[in-house]
Amino acid sequence: MGYTFAEKILARRAGLAHVAPGQIVTVKPDRLLTHDNTADISRKFRKIGVDRVSDPQMNVIVLDHVVPAADETYATNHKVIREFVVEQGIPAFYDVGEGICHQVLPEKGHAWPGAVIVGSDSHTPTHGAFGAFAAGIGRTEAAAVMATGTIWLRVPESIKIVLTGALPPRVSAKDVILHIIGRLKADGATYCSVEFMGEAIAALSMSGRMTLTNMSAEMGAKNAVVAPDAITRAWLERRVTHPYEEVHADPDAHYARVLEFDVSDLAPQIAKPHTVDNVVPITEVIGVRIDQALLGTCTNGRLEDLRAAAGLLRGKHIAPNVRLLVLPASREVLLAAISEGIVADLVTAGATLLNPGCGPCLGAHQGCMAPAEVTISTANRNFKGRMGSKNAFIYLGSPATVAASALAGVITDPREAA
Amino acid sequence: MRRPTKIIGQLWVLLDSEGQWIDDIDTDMIFHNRYLHITDIDAMGQYALDNLKGWETFAQQAKPGDMIMAGKNFGAGSSRQQAVDCFRALGIGALVAESFGAIYKRNAINSGLPIVVVPELTKMPPGTFNTGDALMIDLVTGELLLNGELTFRGEPFSRVQMDIYQAGNLFEYGRQLEQ
Repeated sequence: MGYTFAEKILARRAGLAHVAPGQIVTVKPDRLLTHDNTADISRKFRKIGVDRVSDPQMNVIVLDHVVPAADETYATNHKVIREFVVEQGIPAFYDVGEGICHQVLPEKGHAWPGAVIVGSDSHTPTHGAFGAFAAGIGRTEAAAVMATGTIWLRVPESIKIVLTGALPPRVSAKDVILHIIGRLKADGATYCSVEFMGEAIAALSMSGRMTLTNMSAEMGAKNAVVAPDAITRAWLERRVTHPYEEVHADPDAHYARVLEFDVSDLAPQIAKPHTVDNVVPITEVIGVRIDQALLGTCTNGRLEDLRAAAGLLRGKHIAPNVRLLVLPASREVLLAAISEGIVADLVTAGATLLNPGCGPCLGAHQGCMAPAEVTISTANRNFKGRMGSKNAFIYLGSPATVAASALAGVITDPREAA
Repeated sequence: MRRPTKIIGQLWVLLDSEGQWIDDIDTDMIFHNRYLHITDIDAMGQYALDNLKGWETFAQQAKPGDMIMAGKNFGAGSSRQQAVDCFRALGIGALVAESFGAIYKRNAINSGLPIVVVPELTKMPPGTFNTGDALMIDLVTGELLLNGELTFRGEPFSRVQMDIYQAGNLFEYGRQLEQ
């Protein structure tokens, strides 16, 4: 009998011949990702009573959640982190302006096929797009990993999701994953390892694959993975310079569930307030008034996303009653968007350009909403009160949907836009 | 000192105004993002569940030792540990649900807070569980006893979960491994 991706990688890393779902193994992660919460994690780390992190090369620290600092509390936390980085001699530190942790980590070569990555952020499964086992953990646990260099993991059951067909124009990976979450619901993959495969995946860029694995967290997945192929290897070239060993699921592996979706006729999808699994085809919400449109985040802030939006916005102007906020996911994305002329297109069309970072996605700054306001966003969460007022509304959609809606001032089907 | 493996408490059953289970209670409902700057655990308790409709005053009424029962996917969403710590601050004795968010469950285990999965919970007849009921949980066998009458099954603690619980929390567990 064959084994799934999660079973193979965890067995290998635990030094066992094979493992079974439910079994608990102890492994040494390759990377521990932490962000602004490193301030609190470093305080917890000190309470353990060890002086040094077990392996400074393991740590990747990215300031992204509230950057630049919005007030004295955030500024103090950032300062604590910078001092911790110097004290512990951690080389992989990315300060204000580098971008969102889930974009910066792979850009700087910290994700590769066969890697084990844990991070104190729930969207850490993003890095499974590169063929890594990547899972989110809490702060106490992150402090413990810093101290010990090891972590216990329960071997997850696996779900196989096969995507067939080819995506129609102006329908993207975001629409695919919203559709899947709408079907599986918020607890549809709880504790599970989700493996994406099929011809529609093979056709996706790394950017689209990251959108899928990123949002797998919204159906409860522990991790999500896309098997590495030529597209993965090409993306990693010059970023990951050390050798790595790919891990591929066996063809005869046992899965708890196998689901198949044909994407050929998929319409743009929208998650309505206030849960991510409240998904409908866009045709059911066309005409909903919006006050704000958000293009960015770890889900959809990459060059391909900005390009899709610019394709609709170029030479036009957003509706007068709409604020369009654009946050490139990283400095690298921002520079590429500048040199392609995308930034000029977006800003000319009325967009407000914000620095690379998480921005208003988590409701701390840079675009919180007043009561009764509506945002259409490319982010991954629309929980009640996530972006400011508890009485505001968040709709989630693709970059093309957000751009088309910003132009019209109401939710608009990007397939209908000029 | 061994911590008890049979624990008893009074239940808070997280139902909506129509008596239905509230599934997918996310970490923003448990501990809203506007309080994330708080780092003192004792200050977190007062905000527990204050963004969950109908449960805004829970924190003012809960007593140490009380237990929380919820439907599916309790603690979905972000990795924020404050959503576990706010219950520890109130002295909550255990969390019981049909399922939990994966990171949430780890956070609770690593904090030494008993967290018990009851796979058939929401399939039991409506009205079975009421706020104020007495619940006894055997952490070793996973057996639960409601009001001294009704017995039902949850998942027993895994070995690592029991070891962390007995040590107190993940840090103490790690220290014991070192010795």
